[in-house]
Amino acid sequence: MISAHPLALSLRGLRMAYGDQVVLDGIDLDLPKGQVLALLGASGSGKTTLLRLVAGLLMPTAGTVEIAGQTVAAPERGVVLPPEKRGLGMVFQDYALWPHLSVARNVAFPLEMQRLPAAERAARVTQALARVGLGDLADRRPSELSGGQQQRVAIARAIVGAPPLVLFDEPLSNLDRELREGMVEDLAALVANLELSAVYVTHDHAEALALADRIAVIHRGGIAQLASPAELIDRPASAAVAEFLRLGTLLPARCSDGEWVIKGTDIALGPGPDAAAAQVLLPERSLAPGTHGPAQLRAEVRSMQVRNTGFALSLTIAGTDLPVRLLSAHPARPGEMLALSYSPDALRWFPQAG
Amino acid sequence: MAAGTAAAGSQGSRTFLWVSVLGLLLVVALPALFIVLVAIFPRIGSGSLAAPFVHLIDTLADPDLARLGGNTLLMGAGTVSVAALLAVPLAALRALFRVPGALLWDVLMLVPFMIPPYIAALSWIMTLQPRGYMEQLTGVNLGWLLFSVPGIMILMALNTFPVVYFILSRTFETVGARYSDVGRVFGAGPWRAFARITLPLATPGIAASLLLVFAMTIEEYGTPAALGRRIGFEVLVTGIENRVSEWPIDLPGAATLSLVLVTMALAAFVLQRWLLSRRDFRIIGGKPQMIVKRPLGGWTVPVVLLFALVSSLATLIPVLAILASALCRTISGGLRPANMGLDNFAALLDAGGSGLTALGHSLALGGGTAVVAGLLGAITAYAVVKGRGRMRGFLDGLSLTPNAMPGVVVAVGIILAWNQPWLPLSPYNTPLILLLAYTCILLPQPVRYANAALSQLGDNLEAAAQVSGAGANRAFLRIVLPLIAPSILTSMILVFAVASRELVASLLVAPIGFETIAVYIWRQFDQGSVGMGMTMAFCAIVITTLIPLALIAVLRRLSRQGAPGLHPA
Repeated sequence: MISAHPLALSLRGLRMAYGDQVVLDGIDLDLPKGQVLALLGASGSGKTTLLRLVAGLLMPTAGTVEIAGQTVAAPERGVVLPPEKRGLGMVFQDYALWPHLSVARNVAFPLEMQRLPAAERAARVTQALARVGLGDLADRRPSELSGGQQQRVAIARAIVGAPPLVLFDEPLSNLDRELREGMVEDLAALVANLELSAVYVTHDHAEALALADRIAVIHRGGIAQLASPAELIDRPASAAVAEFLRLGTLLPARCSDGEWVIKGTDIALGPGPDAAAAQVLLPERSLAPGTHGPAQLRAEVRSMQVRNTGFALSLTIAGTDLPVRLLSAHPARPGEMLALSYSPDALRWFPQAG
Repeated sequence: MAAGTAAAGSQGSRTFLWVSVLGLLLVVALPALFIVLVAIFPRIGSGSLAAPFVHLIDTLADPDLARLGGNTLLMGAGTVSVAALLAVPLAALRALFRVPGALLWDVLMLVPFMIPPYIAALSWIMTLQPRGYMEQLTGVNLGWLLFSVPGIMILMALNTFPVVYFILSRTFETVGARYSDVGRVFGAGPWRAFARITLPLATPGIAASLLLVFAMTIEEYGTPAALGRRIGFEVLVTGIENRVSEWPIDLPGAATLSLVLVTMALAAFVLQRWLLSRRDFRIIGGKPQMIVKRPLGGWTVPVVLLFALVSSLATLIPVLAILASALCRTISGGLRPANMGLDNFAALLDAGGSGLTALGHSLALGGGTAVVAGLLGAITAYAVVKGRGRMRGFLDGLSLTPNAMPGVVVAVGIILAWNQPWLPLSPYNTPLILLLAYTCILLPQPVRYANAALSQLGDNLEAAAQVSGAGANRAFLRIVLPLIAPSILTSMILVFAVASRELVASLLVAPIGFETIAVYIWRQFDQGSVGMGMTMAFCAIVITTLIPLALIAVLRRLSRQGAPGLHPA
C-alpha cells in the first residue's frame, strides 16, 4: 500500500460550507511522504472538519483532496470516494474500538477488509500489537484495558494495514497528563521508526511541537501559518498565532517621532517597523531576571506558583496592566519589583493599520 | 450524495430507508388511513365517495357516543385515581425508607405485568362472584363490588399501578439523593425536603406515569368486556367491538368511535411525551449515588402490612384463583381436596385437541410477529437515528403511531382496509392477517429499544469501520448489528410475550375457526368451561412470560460478557 508518490497528501482550494456557514475555505496543503503534519487550532477552528474531509467522513463543497497521488475528492469533477475506498488508517479521539470484538479482532479488521489470507493477517496483527507493546493482550476485550492501552490498540489498528496516510484525531486528549506526556514520546518514536505519513489534529501546542515536522495553525476556517515547529516559535506570522501558541506577552505599541513606546507609557522599545501602531510580541523565552541583557523592563510580581521546574511568576509591567509570565529559579513575593532583561532582536512586530 | 452536507455511508441506509417506508405504510399507515376514510366516506366500501361526513356527524351527535365517551373518561379517571392512591405512597416509602423485604415486594409487584388483564379479571370473577372462592372460604360475598363501576376501576388499577410504582420509586430515589439531600444540608427537615423538593421535582414523572395508566385503561378491552357488560357499563372499546361483531354491523360507526378513542389516547400520549421532554429530571447526570435510606422505626409493621396487602391483592389472589380453577375438576364441586386433580391439564394437552392447536397457533404467530416487528423496528430505528433527510420525521412519527392505536382500533382498521371488495389479493381470512395486526400493535416496542441502543453507539464506531475499508452495508452488519442485537432480541422476546396472548384483535380478525390462546380462553368462559379456560391461562402465563423472562436473563448475562460498555473511554 505504500505508494511511490512523493506527496502523501495534497489539498487544493478546499472549501467546506453548510449553506451560508463557511467552516473551511481556501485550504492549500502539501504533506511530503514520511512526514507528520499537525493541524493545530482552538476548538471550533475547523481542524477536525479538515481531518474528516481527508478521511472521507465529510465531503468538501469545493476543491480537491489527493492521497498519495490519487484524487479522492473533487466535487467539481464528480469525484467523491467514500472512506472505505481511501485506504487510510485513523485514530479517533474516543478510540472507537468495537466493544464486541477482541483486541486482536479489532486490529485485524482493516486486513479482513483487504481480504488478506488468515495466516498473513495473524502475523501482521501480532507484529502491530508488538509494536505498540500490547503483544500479550491480544485476546482481551477493549473494555478490560486501561485508557492508555485502549489508545495503543487504536494506534495498532490504524497502522496494521501500512496505509499511505494515518490520521490522528486528538488521540491523546482523553488521557490524563502524565500518561499523555509519556504517550507523546512513544508516538513520536513509533511514527519515526515506521516512517509514517500522518496528519495529527490537536489543540495542544506542546503535542504539535513535539510530534510534527510541519504545523498548520488553523484559525477561523483557514490556515493562519504553515511552518516547521522551530520556525513557528521563532517567527509567528501574526499576533493571533503568537497569542494562540502562548509565546509571550503582546504589547500594544505606538510610534511617535520615530520612537516606539508601549502605548500609554514612556517605556521605550527600540527600533521598529515603518508604521504608526503595532502589536509587539515579547517572547517569554527571551526574558531573564536581572539586568544583564541589552534591554530592560521593570515588572511587579502579582502571584507565584511553585512548580517542579521552578517558580512560575505572574507579573505586570510596571505602570501598566500588561501581564508577563516568567519561570524563575528563585521565589518572589507579590508586590516585589523585579528587573527583567531581554534582547530587542527577540521582539516580533506586527504592524497595525492606523 | 450532496457535497458538503452528507457524509459517506448514507447510500447504505438507502435500502433500509425504503424497506422501512414500505413496511410502515403497509402495516401502520394503511389501517390508520382506512379508519379516517371510512369515518368520512361511509360508502367507500362500495366504491362511492357519496355522503361524506354525514355519518361522522350522525355518530358524533349520537347520545350513544356521549355515553360511551363519558364512561371511558370516567373509567380512565377513576382507575388513575385508584392507581395513584396505591402507587404514590408505596413508591415514596420504598424509595426513601428501609422497607423490610423490599426486593420481595418489588418482585411481587412485577407479577401483574405477566398476567394479561383479561385473565386477571376472570380470576377476580372466580374469586368474588356469588359462591366464588371467597364466599366458599370466608362466607363473605363481594359480588356487588366486583360488578360495579368502582369495582372495575379498582381491578384495572390493581393491574396498572405497578407501572407508576416502579417509575416513581426510581424517580424519588434519584431526586431524593441528588436534590433533597442538598435541601437538608441547607436546613430542611426530611418531610419538608420531600414536600418542597422531591415531590415538585417528581411531579412531571408522576403525571406522565399516570397518563400512561390512563392510556392503558381506556385501551383495555378484557376487563370492561368481562365485568362491565353484565351491568350495562359500555365504554368506547366495547362499543367499537360491538359495532364490528354484532348485528347490525356498523363499520362507519366503528370507524368514527375509533377516531374518538384514538384522539383520547393520542392526547394522553402527546401530553405524556411533552411532560417528559419538558423537564425530565431523571436524566440529569448519570452517576448512581449511594442512597442512604432512613429507618422506618415504629412504622415498620404497618408499612410492611400495607405492602403485603397491596401485593397480595395485585398478585397472590389472581394467581391462586387461576391455579384453583385449573385444578378443580368441576367448578361447582368447589374447593375440596376430592375435587382437585390434573384432569384439566391432561385434557388441554390432549394431542389433536383444540387447546393444543390454539397454543400452537399463538406460539407460531407470536414468534412470527417477534421476527417481523423486530426486524422492521430495527431497520426503521436505524433509518431514523443514522439517516438523513425529510423521511426521518415521517418514519419516526409513523412508527410511533400505534402507541395511540388501541388493539381494537388496529383490528377495525385492518378489517376496513383488507376487506375492500376490489382488492385482488388479501390476507383476510388467513392467519397472516393476525400477523399484520400484532405487528402494527407491537411495532413501537422494538423501535424504542433499537432507538435507545443506536443512540448509545458512538458515531465513530461506524466511521472507524469505514475508514478501515468496510462499505456502509458491511459496517452495519459487522459493527452496528452485533452491538444492538441484545437490545433487539430483548424487544423481540417482549413482542412474543404480548403477541402470543393478545385478545381483542384476535377476537375480531382471526379467521373463522382459527383459535389463539386468548380466543380459546375467552370462548371457554362464554361456554362455561371455566376450568379449561383457566388451565390454558395458567399455561399461557408460564409459556409466554416465565420462559421469555428466563431468556432475557440469559441474554443479559451473555451481553454483559460479550459487549460490556458501549463507550470505550
